[in-house]
Amino acid sequence: MALQPGSPKSLEVRPSAWGGLATILDTPQKRGVAIVLLLAFMAVAPIAFGPYATVILTNALLYAILALGLNIVVGYAGLLDLGYAAFFAVGAYSIGILTTTYGWNFWAAIPVAVLAAVLAGIIIGGPTLRLRSDYLAIVTLGFGEIVRITARNLEITGRASGIIGIEQPWLFGWHIATSRDFYYVFLILTVIGILVSVRLSRSRLGRAWLYVRHDEDAAEAMGINRVRVKLAAYIIGAIYGAIGGAFFAVNFTAISPQSFSFQQSTLFLMAVVLGGMGKIPGVILGAFVVVLGPELLRDLGSFRYLVFAVGLLLIMLFRPSGIWPTGSRR
Amino acid sequence: MRLPANSALAGLTLALVLGTASYGADIKIGVLVPTTGGQATYGQDMANAVQLAMDEINKAGGGNTYSSVVGDDGCDPQAAVNAATKLVSSGISAVIGGYCSGATIPTLKIFGDAKLPFIITAANSTKLIPANPGNAFMINSTGNDQVAKAMEVWKAKGFKSLAIVNEGDAYSQDLATLAQKSFTDAGGTVADFETVNHGEQDFSAVVTKIKAAAPDAVFWTAYDDDGGPFIKQLREGGYQGAIFVGDGSTSANLFKLAGDAAEGVFAFSSPTAEFLPNAKAFSDAYQAKFNVAPSSYGPLTYDGMKLLADAIGKAGGTDSAKVMAALQAADYKDGIAGEISFRPDHTLARSNFVVVVGKGGTWTLAQ
Amino acid sequence: MTLTTLIAQQLVNGLVLGSFYALVALGYTMVFGVVKLLNFAHGDLYMTGAFAGFGAFSLLSGGLGTGWFGVAVSVLCAMFAVGILGVIIERIAYAPMLKAPRLSILITALAVSLVLQNSMLTLTAGQFIPFGPKLGFGGIDLGPIFINYKQIALAVVAALLMLGLELFVSRTQYGRAMRAVSVDKDMSELMGIDVNRIILVTFFLGSALAGAAGTMAGAYYGSINYFMGFLIGLKAFTAAVIGGIGSIPGAMLGGLVLGLLESFGTTLPGIGSEWKDVFSFTVLILVLVLKPTGLLGKSEQERM
Repeated sequence: MALQPGSPKSLEVRPSAWGGLATILDTPQKRGVAIVLLLAFMAVAPIAFGPYATVILTNALLYAILALGLNIVVGYAGLLDLGYAAFFAVGAYSIGILTTTYGWNFWAAIPVAVLAAVLAGIIIGGPTLRLRSDYLAIVTLGFGEIVRITARNLEITGRASGIIGIEQPWLFGWHIATSRDFYYVFLILTVIGILVSVRLSRSRLGRAWLYVRHDEDAAEAMGINRVRVKLAAYIIGAIYGAIGGAFFAVNFTAISPQSFSFQQSTLFLMAVVLGGMGKIPGVILGAFVVVLGPELLRDLGSFRYLVFAVGLLLIMLFRPSGIWPTGSRR
Repeated sequence: MRLPANSALAGLTLALVLGTASYGADIKIGVLVPTTGGQATYGQDMANAVQLAMDEINKAGGGNTYSSVVGDDGCDPQAAVNAATKLVSSGISAVIGGYCSGATIPTLKIFGDAKLPFIITAANSTKLIPANPGNAFMINSTGNDQVAKAMEVWKAKGFKSLAIVNEGDAYSQDLATLAQKSFTDAGGTVADFETVNHGEQDFSAVVTKIKAAAPDAVFWTAYDDDGGPFIKQLREGGYQGAIFVGDGSTSANLFKLAGDAAEGVFAFSSPTAEFLPNAKAFSDAYQAKFNVAPSSYGPLTYDGMKLLADAIGKAGGTDSAKVMAALQAADYKDGIAGEISFRPDHTLARSNFVVVVGKGGTWTLAQ
Repeated sequence: MTLTTLIAQQLVNGLVLGSFYALVALGYTMVFGVVKLLNFAHGDLYMTGAFAGFGAFSLLSGGLGTGWFGVAVSVLCAMFAVGILGVIIERIAYAPMLKAPRLSILITALAVSLVLQNSMLTLTAGQFIPFGPKLGFGGIDLGPIFINYKQIALAVVAALLMLGLELFVSRTQYGRAMRAVSVDKDMSELMGIDVNRIILVTFFLGSALAGAAGTMAGAYYGSINYFMGFLIGLKAFTAAVIGGIGSIPGAMLGGLVLGLLESFGTTLPGIGSEWKDVFSFTVLILVLVLKPTGLLGKSEQERM
């Protein structure tokens, strides 16, 4: 069903990625200018705002990448994943183990990390993706915990103390080591992540996800293999998670099971839902809110998590579809 | 408006004086401790101790005045990294603190890259040693020393079998693994090695397993929050052998949580105020200023701050290489927790562990 | 200790632990049944119950003593208080969200959980608070194993609560209405059932059960803290799903099964306490792969 100019938005099959801002940014030129301005702002931010802001923004970009990945699983394919940190962990530990214990080069280790996450996605997704969403939720949660506890117990993952001294990579003579270096790396990764997400949402697979999410049985009747389509979403989400984890490992140079807990998974989910599930700009906004919120509230001391929690609750009560304007009428 | 030449010159001179001289200037010291979350009381205690030390140093005069900048690590590695980064960009000349080992480890690189001397006054997992880029100095004896002390006691008591229980975090697991290795190397058997979850209240299955293994002693290597209930359930479950706890469980809270079961429990403790001959003045001053008694790591943190000020004085300024050299060579004899000097790996040169036993609701020195 | 003694003792341990899981799982499953919501805040209601019971106990122990009677009254107070809290939360946070996307209400529940946890964290400064009624150490000697009175009392009370709930659901009008709403909410409304009232009653009962479990756990284990709801919530959720979410007997069975899995998982040589959670979750996954609706869950009708 092609989108005719002037058709009411409630009939859109493929809602614009810009959501509610589409009314202000209604021409490609305006959107282009907005994107260029945003990129320019992000490019000069480290220089303008100093080292502390750089680190926090890098964190936010990491969460943005992971939120984009989880958005594909939860937002596009409608799978409730409560254990997304598992893929994050697989990526991080793959890099940690290969580079520290076996002396591999970081770039050579990345494909292995991605492969490991894909395998993990297949192993856990295969038998369980046909479950109802509530059961899938607990299974993904369980898987997240299994990965975390395994990392805590095994020697090769450094047990509870984790892996330290992960070497930071070189790229054609550029040693990626300072916080500013990592900021730009994560910025590039985020842009790539966005581009991939946008292409996916417009592809046949993206449409298949849409149909499956709206009505599984009708989609099945149309010839879409429900389980295969869901598995694809799960695996792509796993790849995002693994890449995020890999770069996280070399950024922090020390990883431990504490960073891959259920609380971490819920933070990722919060970023996706808070910002506006399924909408790329919303998801990125959500990631920034989840990271910047506790940091900006640092001066409140003990109260800051309580304030954050209350704020989150209020946002969910008054804007359940997320902060990002949707522009659609109910 | 023309700027008169002589006031420009005065301004330049002033700028030069203020800019180059760190002597006589206000020195900012970062304090990395958990002030939120489950460990907040210990972190706050350490921050208070730093403040107390600073007030005394400032009052004594002699050039430098100190002020603290507190960074909350919430006992979480990522929050610690954020806090450390914030501290580094706050114009500090050195850092003091570090309570949770797991959260402290990733900050070592950050402070190392910023070339800031870091005095670690509580965290003591041995994993800190290889992760140290060279700028950190640990004044709380590490797990190695604690286990050495433990082995002394266990050998003396003739224990042949031991059960070790930890909580799966960096600190307690490190201590447990070291104890296991030392005990088996010395010919003993570790009859049972268990991991429990923090906050999980039911230890009955582990207690039953320990009873079945019937070891001569049980060694709890984690914190008092779960240690208290664990000891209680051990005794209620009928275990009658000796119980030992590590230095993470030596706060007074253990007695409240374990109740009568804490009677006769042994602990390896870093020196707390009650056991230090010179600490009474510190305790009184702390009590007067903060209306609460100092907690386990107050004395060590107080010493750490004074040591740092001493090193800065000896180095003639805040130049980090000079301060670190001064710390490495330190032979600080005024510590209320004992003398401070460092081994080449920057750990405390002597073991500061004492053995205490629970009697009548508090710890007393054991014989 | 002989093998039979070990097994028997771990059986007792598992059933005691399982009773707590079952009580909390019941609340999860009841709420899920009527509003199809995984109430993440449910575990924190257990935690709030523990504090409410502790509060009642501290206030009343002067008059009622620190023994069994004091505890019993505290449990009742906590049940009432937490039941009301559950209803308030439902009105404020969940009722407005029932038409929103599934995931939004889930995140709302998560937010409620965080608010409860952080409020208690701020109030207690993260401290673990001892809760020590004087219940004595007496018990029944069954030869190799010793079952103390606290365990017996716990089992009896849990059983009574569960039995009471089962009777309520199967024999009373409210109970029938609850079952109707959980099968088809819209149809129930058309049939004249006051769905809103039923939801409130369900929340009250489920929360009251969690509150009871919390107070009993505080009294039994001897300490309470702001964090205790998180783990139990996770376990209870697992238990409810193992048993078949939406099924009340399923929640009871799931709770006991999980308690036994944990206690025997800790004992088995290959697994031990280090891996017991991995063991429990693996069993969960196997159960769901083989029987996707849980042990006692009803099979889904395939719509044509």
